[in-house]
Amino acid sequence: MSEKNEKLIADYLQGILDEQGKKEVEELIAKGDIDFIDFRAIEQLHDELDMIPVPEPSSEMSHNFYSMLEEEKGSSRVSIRETLREKIAEFLNQITMPRLAYACMLLIVGGFIGNQMNSGDAEIQQLTSEMQNMREMMMVSMLEGPSTTDRLRAVNISAKLPSVDQKAIRALLFTLNNDESINVRVQSIEALSRWGDDPIVREGIVKAIANQESEIVIISLADTMVELGLKNSANEFQRIIDEKDLNGATKLKVENTIAVLS
Amino acid sequence: MMKVKDGDLDKLGLLFERYNRPLYSFFYRKTFQSQLSEDLVQSVFERMLKYRTTYSGTGAFTTWMFSIARNAHIDHYRKEKRRKEDEILDEERIASDAPTGYMEMDERHQKKLLLEKALEQLDEDKKEVVILSRFEGLKYHEIAEIQGVTESAIKVRMFRAMKDLKQIVTTLSEEYSHE
Repeated sequence: MSEKNEKLIADYLQGILDEQGKKEVEELIAKGDIDFIDFRAIEQLHDELDMIPVPEPSSEMSHNFYSMLEEEKGSSRVSIRETLREKIAEFLNQITMPRLAYACMLLIVGGFIGNQMNSGDAEIQQLTSEMQNMREMMMVSMLEGPSTTDRLRAVNISAKLPSVDQKAIRALLFTLNNDESINVRVQSIEALSRWGDDPIVREGIVKAIANQESEIVIISLADTMVELGLKNSANEFQRIIDEKDLNGATKLKVENTIAVLS
Repeated sequence: MMKVKDGDLDKLGLLFERYNRPLYSFFYRKTFQSQLSEDLVQSVFERMLKYRTTYSGTGAFTTWMFSIARNAHIDHYRKEKRRKEDEILDEERIASDAPTGYMEMDERHQKKLLLEKALEQLDEDKKEVVILSRFEGLKYHEIAEIQGVTESAIKVRMFRAMKDLKQIVTTLSEEYSHE
């Protein structure tokens, strides 16, 4: 194929061909200068490229950036990265061996039941529904417990619920607003963002902004608002800036979030 | 960016919030490695700070940003190449074995996997044109500026990239189906 025709097809793919150009492509196809089957295959492949998934970056990328920015500004404030590291260390210290064993047992039992559910008849469907109910009950009960590790585990159980679940959503929103542990609150934000299309979740997490004291939770909420495109959260963030004495990097992060949402 | 250049470093945060995801996607589609992509995004913003005085403000900001991103990736690739001489990032890369469970996947998953593997194997310059044009929405003349060639050359590169991709998808599909 001539370079002229190659450039014409490239323009077509980018959607910048005018009527005259499109007509030219049609004529070249009609004359056989451009192979119609090849042309269609390339056009289809170009459309299908959207299927390649890209995961979300971790929140550490944002923390690292703001730490770098703070360093550059010559600030002596404790970097967010350090704070995060401390929080992770604190979380790891909380995990004890018996708790890990209990978690493993739950995993094995869950895996076994899950295996049994693969054959697909009505009984199995009922079992699936019972399993979901069981998970819900276990989750809600563990969320109310005194142990931070149990509450974290409860939040993680919600990730295994196969569909949007109103009971789980209400329990997670309550946790986000009231749990004393920062880690549990952060995990509940991540769990809720999985159901980011649900109107109750969208409304609930925006309202939750006002109830937060921890800057780590506020940063995590800011990332989630951008990810879910929740523009109405900008006012809540503005109120937080006005009313709370935020650390410089957090304040900057929130201000930038507001700018992106506006 | 002009404000960052003038010393208002806080404004870089605004640029980060706007562009960290497009940059991350750019690197992820180039490398298919999450952690490396995050590190490279960080490297781009470090370079923006370091070279902020060179920003002229005449062209599009995204062109300048993706030029920096391109260089960050090339530098990383060079370092890796020195570290591991036998790693090759071009079309000579040997096709990998069929992924586990390929034949059991439904058609959509198979297609997704084939596209991912095909893009991974595409020649670096061609891959970059596809990513910047198809995913990041850059115009051909902007990509030409980033790669330092003419707009015509980019159009030809785009067409040939798509043709190569089609061929790689066909080859991989046959290979995976016979393994």
